[in-house]
Amino acid sequence: MFTELNSILNATPDSFTQGEFILVSDRQSDASFLIHHFLSFYLRARCKVCFLGLVQSFSHYSAISQRLGVSLTQAREKGQLIFLEGLKESLSILIPQETTTGSQAMDFLRDPTVGLQRLYEFVRSSVSSDGGGEEGVEEWGPPVLLVDDVSVLLSLGVSAGAVLDFSHYCRATVCSQLQGNIVMLVRCHGEEAEDDGSDEGSEWLLKGLTHQCSLTLHVQGLPTGYCRDIHGQVEVCWRRRRGDGQHTQKKLFQYKVHDKGASFFAPGTSSAVL
Amino acid sequence: MLSELLQGTDTGAVLIIQDSCSYSGQHLLKSFISAALNKEEAVHVLGFDVSEEELKDGLTASTQRLHFHSAYTDPLGWTNRTAFTVHQFCVEELTHLLKQTSHPKPVTLVIDSLSWILRHVSPPAVCKTLQQLKKGGAVRAVIGLLHADMHQRGTVGSVCHLATSVITVAPGTKGDEAVAKITKRSKSGKVMQDEEIFSIKGDFSVTVVSKTSHAGHRQTEPEEHQTDPTGKPLCSSRVQVQVEFCMSLMPTMTTTRRTLMMILMFRFKAGKSAEDPRFICFFRH
Repeated sequence: MFTELNSILNATPDSFTQGEFILVSDRQSDASFLIHHFLSFYLRARCKVCFLGLVQSFSHYSAISQRLGVSLTQAREKGQLIFLEGLKESLSILIPQETTTGSQAMDFLRDPTVGLQRLYEFVRSSVSSDGGGEEGVEEWGPPVLLVDDVSVLLSLGVSAGAVLDFSHYCRATVCSQLQGNIVMLVRCHGEEAEDDGSDEGSEWLLKGLTHQCSLTLHVQGLPTGYCRDIHGQVEVCWRRRRGDGQHTQKKLFQYKVHDKGASFFAPGTSSAVL
Repeated sequence: MLSELLQGTDTGAVLIIQDSCSYSGQHLLKSFISAALNKEEAVHVLGFDVSEEELKDGLTASTQRLHFHSAYTDPLGWTNRTAFTVHQFCVEELTHLLKQTSHPKPVTLVIDSLSWILRHVSPPAVCKTLQQLKKGGAVRAVIGLLHADMHQRGTVGSVCHLATSVITVAPGTKGDEAVAKITKRSKSGKVMQDEEIFSIKGDFSVTVVSKTSHAGHRQTEPEEHQTDPTGKPLCSSRVQVQVEFCMSLMPTMTTTRRTLMMILMFRFKAGKSAEDPRFICFFRH
């Protein structure tokens, strides 16, 4: 996990806000490094993590998590991590064989119009099941759902409205009912376009998820172009605050991704330019 | 105008709060709920967007008269644990729902949000239900939250056309301030528009910081009506006070106008011949 990002979000594995829906998004950039941060963060926090890995293999996430000091293999073996390997599961549906049945979670691949109810039921069963009381089974903290990434569902034929329904149900179960957290990555392509809400593409999906979430982290490239020492900027927006009456707060940071982490700093304060 | 709307809406009123990703109208919606509860009105909330706990969080007014109909947990019937689904959004089901809790007075119905419903129910059906609620008498007023950036302009326009008041919220330039563009239609058909900068406190009370005009910012000023030289108000309507001229004059105004000296006029002195005109300029302040 990235300690500077923890400081920005005012969160540690021992103390973090529960019931949050965190939306990570990117435009002409790659925000997947934030998914690795949150994965290692919540595993260190001893949360029960359900990870829908739709775009990369388990070994990919495992290799990167190893560099961040977390073993996904051990977490899965202990029952702390439930990992849906979307690429592998989809093969068993697209190329059905006699011996493999595939997970019902990916049933939307057979008919995208049916929606994501099965995927939600997979999430619900993953986060709701606990081994509490059973001998030898560890008890874990609040559940966390990580999705990498929801926009690939659009490419698979699922409508943006169905994705919003899925995220709503996940939020109702994970955040509101179980006081857990959700982190979803959505990727936008091209320039931010003015549209009248009719085109249900990634931009419309981003807006819909933004209305649902409580914290957004939007990653994009530097407006001035490529820089070797600064890989991009992150806009952090707290949308819902309770108690203190404040409404929305936005902060902008620049970042650089390293081999074993990422550093965040205020614009113009990179060590390369100071 | 925002304060007037918070003080109370007319019977049969439909108020739409339009927001976008850049500024959520959820807190302003809670301000309206809080204001209605403080006036000891019964408020029924159709909750799709947020849970009951999140909606009631921070409300200091007594929530005894607040009835939350949860469509948040299972709006599509996926888990068979639903209290209300999106497909039950019709006047018959809503009337049945409201009658389950008896009230001596008509209730205020809050819909959070219309956008959730519009994603699953056709806009004509939603508009029809809103119109029936407006005319039917089952509810005194309807207040709905609409995420304008989630729908086509035609859909937003159709829904807002039914509304008696539309408040479009956007972020302000500093701190927790926001801008509200308000359009209100009176029963006589007059349309009033205003733009105000406001902030919402922790108890969801609204403070109007200032009013903006098309000419730019100006400080909040007391409600003064322009008067003619006789001291009487030029027009009784607030709309007509803001325009530069008044189309209809009262008899006293007509008399006064006849006696007013224009800036440039010919004046004939008594006893002088008409061939001796004099230019006399008068400057009026």
